[in-house]
Amino acid sequence: MSQVSIEHVYKRFGKVTAVGDFNLQVADGEFVSLLGPSGCGKTTTLRMVAGFERTTEGKIVIGERVVNNHEDGTFVPPEKRDIGMVFQSYAVWPHMTVFENVEYPLKIKKVDKAERDKKVQNILEMVHLGEYGERYPNQLSGGQQQRVALARALVANPSLLLLDEPLSNLDAKLRESMRFEISALQKRLGITVIYVTHDQSEAMTMSDRIVVMSAGVVQQIGKPYEIYTHPANKMVADFIGLVNFLPGVIKGDRAFLEGTENSFANEKNLTGNVTIAVRPENIKMSKTGGMIKGSMKHRFYLGDSVDYRVQVGEHVIRVIIKGIQYGTYADGETVYLDFDKVMLFNRE
Amino acid sequence: MKHLPRIDSKFIVIAISVLVLLYFIVFPMLILIYDSFVVDGAINFSNYKAVYSQNVNWKALVNTVELSLLVMVASVIITFPMAWLIGRTDLPWKRTFRTILVGSYMIPPYVGAIAWVQMLNPSVGYLNDLFKYIFHLSAAPFNIYTIGGLAWVLTLFYSPFAFITISRAMEKMDPTLEEAARVAGASPLRTLWDVTLPLMAPSIVAGGLLVFIAAGSAFGIPAIVGMPGNIEVMTTRIVTFVYMGDDKGIRDATALAVSLMIIANGLLFFMSWLLSRKDYTTISGKSTRPNMVELGKFKHLAFFVVAAYAFVAVILPIGSVVMTSFIKSMSKGLEWSNFGIDPWIPVITSAQYMESIGRSLVYGVIAACIGTVLAVFVAYLSVKTNITGRSLPDLLVVLGGSTPSIVIALALIITFSGNYGLNIYSSMWILIVGYLVKYMTMSVRTVAASLSQVHISLEEAALNSGASWIRTCKDIIIPLVMPSIVAGWFLIFMPSFYELTMSNLLYGADTKTIGVLLYELQTYADTQNASVLSVIILVIVLAGNLVLNKLTKGAVSI
Repeated sequence: MSQVSIEHVYKRFGKVTAVGDFNLQVADGEFVSLLGPSGCGKTTTLRMVAGFERTTEGKIVIGERVVNNHEDGTFVPPEKRDIGMVFQSYAVWPHMTVFENVEYPLKIKKVDKAERDKKVQNILEMVHLGEYGERYPNQLSGGQQQRVALARALVANPSLLLLDEPLSNLDAKLRESMRFEISALQKRLGITVIYVTHDQSEAMTMSDRIVVMSAGVVQQIGKPYEIYTHPANKMVADFIGLVNFLPGVIKGDRAFLEGTENSFANEKNLTGNVTIAVRPENIKMSKTGGMIKGSMKHRFYLGDSVDYRVQVGEHVIRVIIKGIQYGTYADGETVYLDFDKVMLFNRE
Repeated sequence: MKHLPRIDSKFIVIAISVLVLLYFIVFPMLILIYDSFVVDGAINFSNYKAVYSQNVNWKALVNTVELSLLVMVASVIITFPMAWLIGRTDLPWKRTFRTILVGSYMIPPYVGAIAWVQMLNPSVGYLNDLFKYIFHLSAAPFNIYTIGGLAWVLTLFYSPFAFITISRAMEKMDPTLEEAARVAGASPLRTLWDVTLPLMAPSIVAGGLLVFIAAGSAFGIPAIVGMPGNIEVMTTRIVTFVYMGDDKGIRDATALAVSLMIIANGLLFFMSWLLSRKDYTTISGKSTRPNMVELGKFKHLAFFVVAAYAFVAVILPIGSVVMTSFIKSMSKGLEWSNFGIDPWIPVITSAQYMESIGRSLVYGVIAACIGTVLAVFVAYLSVKTNITGRSLPDLLVVLGGSTPSIVIALALIITFSGNYGLNIYSSMWILIVGYLVKYMTMSVRTVAASLSQVHISLEEAALNSGASWIRTCKDIIIPLVMPSIVAGWFLIFMPSFYELTMSNLLYGADTKTIGVLLYELQTYADTQNASVLSVIILVIVLAGNLVLNKLTKGAVSI
């Protein structure tokens, strides 16, 4: 168990900056996700923590130990970092049985055989593979291979567990159940976790904190709730959840929806042209009256909710309403919208 | 399936192709086997007993097996570390080394043999002279005309088979398998030992067996390096027997040839079983750049060793033939005044030499054109249709390609010199049939691999858009696989162009090819003309490869 500190880390491949000025403190026992679209630098960051890439600039500390510091050339290779890692492809060795796979880290550590057997059996049972020790990986399903990889990463009690999109090769149902399993295991063992994913719901459900990345730059670090309700910028608002963006103008302490008299509180004290953002589920819709007048364009029935597109001037606004009948509104009907929990961002 | 328009035409076409392949590939081999076992109308082993009771033949068999084993082991020991250094570490100049090592595959082996004889023959070898001068030795330190010398040259020129097989497998291996070992606490060397090596084992064995078979079936190198030192192997014995020209000679040759065929084809069968047995493919994730092992303080040492090998294996022999081709008089030493283009003039102006070159080019082109058409057809049948027996033609082609050249040549001589209808003996067609039997398989593999990449939905989309099947072929399939068809053409053309082993047995008075001519010059100790011709061959092969590289954008090369 240990904290991790990533300080002013840069990674450049030739002229391309894959990661720029990355700063993060992970507390002991914390579950932190690196979230972002593909190519945002999250995997590169994880590989630097693992020791598969050297930082171009900056310092990484795991526990008390500096594992990479470009200034004095300190670099601890992956095998000496005392970490566990689960790969997207599972990387379960096909020439070893499940037991041998999980036993391997202990063998390297020269733990004696009796102790080894006990620990391996223990962890296999923890991931519900107690009966599968003698099997070869090609006799296992993807989900089971995933658990073998997890058991192997945890068996030697590493101080830090790294997971690189571990669930992206699983089918949707299994993915959901594995989320809870990994979460439960992490709580039980109290291990520090850094988790890389491009799936926001994975990050939201499992993490204590989320690091949202884009184009190699950290956009926001915060608790899932903070990131969803108070996104730091347009990119984060857009990437996490659904959002409508509309042009706005600041006049005094109000932000006016462009071309209208409708305005919202300017809490952040922005000036000039802004973007007004509102999530589809924070819009109230009625037939009788409201702030903004529009006409119903499309309706998509989703079972538990209806996903509407409402034409307002030249903009199409997405509105999601739970538990309402599909037939409540008709196409072309005039509707009125009220925005709640509006967010304001500077316009780029 | 709606791939071919009418079901009956499919079967007619498949039947014809199977018959043609049976007639030119399987039938001659059956005749060869039959002839080796049947003496005076009875099936027995008397032929084999007679042959192997002669000490020289038995010794040749022992030599072949010993040499092949030696070359196989040496090749694996040399190429595995090099494949690892080039594929998995931060070795400087990796790409260049890969190109050089893979490229040595395109040097005709007999050219390599000629070069090494020039460098290490005990009387006037360049390197021997150099060592004598440097270390003040009274006698030459090396003699190429020995088992060791033969193994050395065979290893240098057949180890690329192992290198290519091993480094391809290494490229295909999921690098996170190794990274998982690193985070589990294993050092790079421990990872190599515990993960890389076991996972690569089938490919290492396969690469080794390919080398074993190639070395055992080789004729050029043993003929040029072994024969002067009275070291006989199976292939050289077979040629000697065929040269005797009488029935007895041919019969003895058949027994040796069938022995060789059983060893080579048996091992190939074993190899393909081995490779198909265990499924080591795992779900691969996104393509991460594999973590390159940092060699640290060993970086310079590793670079030096690999560079030295590349220099000795490729640069040195090419340098030797090029240099020799510009020496005015072999009796004078290596001084500036003794260099010039003089040796080139008699070769370039000689009608005999130029005719041979032209002939080889023409035969190569004819073989490549016929072979490509057949290959496209065979590949299409086996990959894109689901007719019963669709892969039979493919299998027959593979059988031909896996049979040692010398065996094919002998089988063709016996079968197509008039005893069974067709008589093409001494004509160019027997040479071309030989080239096709031996080299079509590479072409089929290349085209089939590319055809299997063309997903069925691409064809279906064209059919849906209203295109006929023929139109679909023309507009969709052919353009998509064109690079592989071109590559397939070259894969038949190039080895046919410089072929020696079969040509040496099959050529007639008017069909002497450049390989045969070069071999004769070397055996008549005309090392200078041999060098000039070698350089010409190298230039043509190199040019062919450049064209191939350009056309296929580096995806395929020899």
